Amino acid sequence: MCGVNGIYAYHYAASPPSEAELLATRDHMRARGPDGEGVWWRQDRRVGFGHRRLAIIDLSERAAQPMLSDDGRLAITFNGEIYNFPELKAELEAQGRRFRTSSDTEALLHLYELYGQEMVHRLRGMFAFAIWDEAREGLFLARDPYGIKPFYTANDGWTFRFASQVKALLAGGKVSRDPEPAGVVGFHLWGSVPAPFTMYREIRALPAGHTQWIDRLGPREPRAYVNLSAILAEGARAPAARADVSGIIRQGVLDSVRAHLLADVEVGVFLSAGIDSGALLGLMRDAGQRDIRAITLAFEEFYGTDEDEAPLAAKVAQAYGARHVVRRVSKREFQEDLPDILASMDQPSIDGVNTWFVAKAAREAGLKVALSGIGGDELFAGYPSFQDIPRWVSWLGPTRALPGLGAVLRRLGGALAPGLKQRLPKALGMVEYGGSYPGAYLLRRGLYLPSDLEALLDADLVREGLRRLKPLRTLAGCMTPDPHTPVGRVVALESTNYLRHQLLRDADWAGMAHSIEIRTPLVDIELLRRMAPVVPLLSSRDGKRELANAPSLPLPAEIVERSKTGFGVPTGEWTAGETGQPPAVLAKGASSRAWARELMQRRVAAIDPAA
Amino acid sequence: MRILALVTEAFGGRGGIAQYNRDLIEALASGPAPAKVEVLPRLAPDPPGGLPERVRQHPAAFSRPLYALRGLLLAWRLRPDLVFCGHLYMAPLAAIAARLTRARLAVQLHGIEAWAVPPAAQRRAVESADLVLCVSRDTRRRVLAWSGLAPERVVVLPNTVGEAFTPGEAAPMRARLGLAGESVLLSVGRLDARERYKGHDKVIALLPRLIQARGPLVYVVVGDGADRPRLEALARDAGVAAHVRFLGQAPANDLPGLYRAADVFVLPSAGEGFGIVYLEAMACGTPAVGLAAGGALDALGDGDLGAAVEQEALGETILAALAAPRGERARHDLAQRTRDRFGGSAFRDLARAILKRAA
Repeated sequence: MCGVNGIYAYHYAASPPSEAELLATRDHMRARGPDGEGVWWRQDRRVGFGHRRLAIIDLSERAAQPMLSDDGRLAITFNGEIYNFPELKAELEAQGRRFRTSSDTEALLHLYELYGQEMVHRLRGMFAFAIWDEAREGLFLARDPYGIKPFYTANDGWTFRFASQVKALLAGGKVSRDPEPAGVVGFHLWGSVPAPFTMYREIRALPAGHTQWIDRLGPREPRAYVNLSAILAEGARAPAARADVSGIIRQGVLDSVRAHLLADVEVGVFLSAGIDSGALLGLMRDAGQRDIRAITLAFEEFYGTDEDEAPLAAKVAQAYGARHVVRRVSKREFQEDLPDILASMDQPSIDGVNTWFVAKAAREAGLKVALSGIGGDELFAGYPSFQDIPRWVSWLGPTRALPGLGAVLRRLGGALAPGLKQRLPKALGMVEYGGSYPGAYLLRRGLYLPSDLEALLDADLVREGLRRLKPLRTLAGCMTPDPHTPVGRVVALESTNYLRHQLLRDADWAGMAHSIEIRTPLVDIELLRRMAPVVPLLSSRDGKRELANAPSLPLPAEIVERSKTGFGVPTGEWTAGETGQPPAVLAKGASSRAWARELMQRRVAAIDPAA
Repeated sequence: MRILALVTEAFGGRGGIAQYNRDLIEALASGPAPAKVEVLPRLAPDPPGGLPERVRQHPAAFSRPLYALRGLLLAWRLRPDLVFCGHLYMAPLAAIAARLTRARLAVQLHGIEAWAVPPAAQRRAVESADLVLCVSRDTRRRVLAWSGLAPERVVVLPNTVGEAFTPGEAAPMRARLGLAGESVLLSVGRLDARERYKGHDKVIALLPRLIQARGPLVYVVVGDGADRPRLEALARDAGVAAHVRFLGQAPANDLPGLYRAADVFVLPSAGEGFGIVYLEAMACGTPAVGLAAGGALDALGDGDLGAAVEQEALGETILAALAAPRGERARHDLAQRTRDRFGGSAFRDLARAILKRAA
């Protein structure tokens, strides 16, 4: 887990890149990799890589990066972890490959030599890496299937640049800050900036599960090498037998947790009182880890109340014999940290505050790596969206036969009940959007509906942004090919949108700010492949229960029962408090919307002083 | 590969765009896998001259309906692999021709025509292109501001500099212009009232200060247009009329000599699509000064080849350029670096490869 960056002056007319720029971008990412730093230049100095290292596998200097192949024809800068590295290494050695290090980085070089760009199909893990291929005189980029590790690129027509963070690219001083309407509008729609857009026109995310090739002709369009929806569709074609469901889940998650424990440093776990992290802890024990530190985030405000997660989390920790660390956070600490939070937030996001504090606690405990239960709700149908969306679509689908009806009803509703528009802006869009999966997803997850944006933002900006964003068409693309079943469609939508653009991105910036590598065993392409035949059989009732029962010692029944009602998190109120509105009057959706507006205003002053 | 080129002007045309089209068409029709190119221009004021092998230029058709009709008929008959559209205004026609014949579409965008959001039909046509070529990073940036094109499809193919522009004797042209030992500043560019961004007025305003600092100095202005009376009045008002020589439009043959006769080429233009004149000057070994704005930054090599400065620093920069030693060696060195960076072979190589990739 590290920070990577690079510059490639690919065009014949391009000015030679400067070392100062390469280092400024690299060192903006100091927190991502405090353990080491490196630079590599091609002989002609038109290609340069930077790397900041958080040493986790093979802590020695030999494994420092950027790393060259034996013959010097390949150079790599790599951020992430390859969890099937031991198997790959054994296989490569059996083929006569010699390793100088015991790092997964070196395995990537061998794989590229053997399989070229097809190598990505061999990888299980989270990764963003760039390889300079001297023989083909080109640059190869790849990003993991879920987009756990970030990767941003900027192409000005002469020079191609990449980095793990948007702000790091800006710190180099050569990338345009022209705003991207799709990024601004996308943030207001979703609460996070939807890839491939960023807040800046010149900076794009390399989409999850994509590779890209750049040579003297410039960058080619990114190419998808994996499609989550296709994996789900394939699973639906040959669904598992009901009797096999529990076994498949148990084996799948245990295998994933085992793989995610690969490290030469201690691996801890973020433990809430929910099912996902509790199950992970149980599975860590099943995977053979004896000494486990579990970090629980709790809030001063809830101490001694039913809302306090700490006592239940303590029970889970005790059940699995973990050393429990409870870290209490108060509103005051939030206010003290807020400037740092905003500065570390790579792109605006309405979430990530919890992750900030739990990662901070992990760092205080001396950990470098922790497992997180992110992704459990997406894969095991834990969200209300798994009930709501299919239901809305089946009720409202028939109204699609009358195009325009929804818009008329929205306008009518807005005129007749202006109060409703204030309190529940999305309710008015029910008929307009609720009849299709993409529309219903936008209703469920969106902060605002497209039709509400003109009240917030400049009309031209909204029009341009929506024109580029094409939200409904993009969502439809996220469930292509059709996963066939309602639950499969929602898994596809949640995994490629909320999970990717919000949860995983927040885990990255908030974790990296404290030099903590957050690993997500429930966000794993191998696990998805195993689960795909099971997904059609899951319901929002039993999915999480199956996960709770996956450890050999199942989660205490109390946890499963309590998790149904959920816990309060005061961060919503804290952030709402920052918006100057009394939190009591704001429902969750409204407080998120207020916080989003606040962030946009603060972005000008705090996040982005030069903007 | 068969290419249909729909262009404003190419062979027998005047100005930078015609030159660019000729360079591009020649590049595509030569090389290891040469294409057959049929060109339909809207204008051809001069005789087209000897066409390169495998290039056929059809008679110009200025009338829009006639041009469109002939373009479509030609596409239908030729069945091209690629339709090359040389100007934004023709993009809708080129898009139809490409769709009609299932050809790929490449659109060339130059400068200011592509700065504002174009009408819907042009915007859609450009967005349907497989490849959009821009002369500079600035033009590309502006195109990406109004189009939803994938950034990878928008590629910079800069102007290249003609073989005639080389270092040489300054004396013959100086003698012709009756210049003795004065310092000579030169601008080349249209004096179009709509194109005041070229910045001649800024140089004229600086002249009193420059003369005071440098002594005898002449500002030679090559190019003509409706803005000339205003500029002449400016020079009079500033009391420097005797130091400004408006030569009007110069024949192409005279240009290398004019560049060689100058000590410093200056064009503080805020709106160049690229600014081929900077390249021509530097290829003749004459130092160039421009603003760090728009496409000029590309031609000036981000300041590595010529000076690219903010407007406030213009006077200082011109003085520094005049004061710098400029022996034969320095002139040849600048010319060589300019040609290394923007010479024809790299241009032809990229043009062929990039259009082959699109087709």
